[in-house]
Amino acid sequence: MKEIQLKVNGRDYSLNIDENMRLIDLLRDELGLLGTKEGCGEGECGACTVIMDGETVTSCLVMAFQAHGSHILTIEGLERDGKIHPIQQAFIDVGAVQCGFCTPGMILSAKALLDKNPNPTREEIREGISGNLCRCTGYNKIVDAVELAIKYIEEGK
Amino acid sequence: MALEEVYKGENVDEVVELLDKYGKDAKIIAGGTDIVIDLRNNRIDPKVLIDISSIEELKGIKDKGEYIEIGAGVSFTQVVENPLFERNLYGLNKACHMVGSPQIRNKGTLGGNIANGSPAADSIPPLICLNSTLILKSVRGTREISIEDYYRDEDARIRPDELLVSINFKKPKKDQVLSFAKLGLRKALAISRLSIAILVELDEEGKIINIEVASGSLGKYPMRELELEQFLLGKKLEDSTVDEGVLVLQRAMEKRLAGRSTFPYKRVAVDRMFREALGEAMEYLDEVRA
Repeated sequence: MKEIQLKVNGRDYSLNIDENMRLIDLLRDELGLLGTKEGCGEGECGACTVIMDGETVTSCLVMAFQAHGSHILTIEGLERDGKIHPIQQAFIDVGAVQCGFCTPGMILSAKALLDKNPNPTREEIREGISGNLCRCTGYNKIVDAVELAIKYIEEGK
Repeated sequence: MALEEVYKGENVDEVVELLDKYGKDAKIIAGGTDIVIDLRNNRIDPKVLIDISSIEELKGIKDKGEYIEIGAGVSFTQVVENPLFERNLYGLNKACHMVGSPQIRNKGTLGGNIANGSPAADSIPPLICLNSTLILKSVRGTREISIEDYYRDEDARIRPDELLVSINFKKPKKDQVLSFAKLGLRKALAISRLSIAILVELDEEGKIINIEVASGSLGKYPMRELELEQFLLGKKLEDSTVDEGVLVLQRAMEKRLAGRSTFPYKRVAVDRMFREALGEAMEYLDEVRA
């Protein structure tokens, strides 16, 4: 076992973890944060995307012990004062969520993009979410949702 | 996966001592984008994993005047976002930008691309064109080797007790440009089918006075295309020269790949990739001269 300290969604944790554990296992099995999904387990699909120290990572390719000292943001951490994040609201309003499996990772990729570039073009949005596969929507609604989210964020919604 | 011990390395000295202690039982993990998959599929089975992703001295891109030093732990995203790799070094930026996806580029490192030894590693052909030198450290000392020799000579590859610490290359001259073209099966998350990098310099009459061409996935490892370079050197870039150049490249790759199922496809595809890389180089040349 290995002792690590990390911050998840603003909360400090000190945990004893199995050396073989991945970050996604830590989030789902140890902390019960089931919003992060495991799809391919090989970094191709992006369903397990979380934000680690400001950058998106596929949590299936990060070993849990590597996250020692870092700050992880999962989909559960986007809520503020009982209100969901404007990007989440935009996804709902546009109808960008179908089966929902890709949605948490997709929204975190969108957030990381907007944190770096608050006014991306449609093409830049497509590139920003290019590491997240969606088999339902055909992506257009998702790109629409990110564009609407830009508006919501500007309006302070 | 049956790891017994994991370490989060804090500095290079500590890591090389651990490598000396554990030798073949230990593996280095940086971005993890390849090794975690190998661990899970039991393709490798180390007892010890040493993480180098938090070691600051491996994460710098340093402008040393005549040289640029890229720490082995520098991520593809860091290269893409660094203004040093614009204009005449744009080919390296482009190669790093075409790796995987944003998530993979955030974690994956140049050092990992080299130490892992994939024949399809996107960042290698541009680094070969730049005549990069690799710096490897162990408790025995420091080893420097050109990236070309590193790939060509199997005995020169990274040893179990060594850590790749940096990649160094001389900045191209003002009139030299580096370009890159990659063929993937789709736009994002594509593993290279093949790639070509070109470093070129023309004189005032448009004659090629310097050229380095390196390929990825056209052999067992990324390599210089010496026959093509020799053919192009001293010539003007007219259509007939480019057409003949394609034939030279196709003949060279045939020697290495003949009989493989992918050869007929790559033989056709390399034509387009070479022209694309060359065409971009000419565009960049116009830009850096403007």
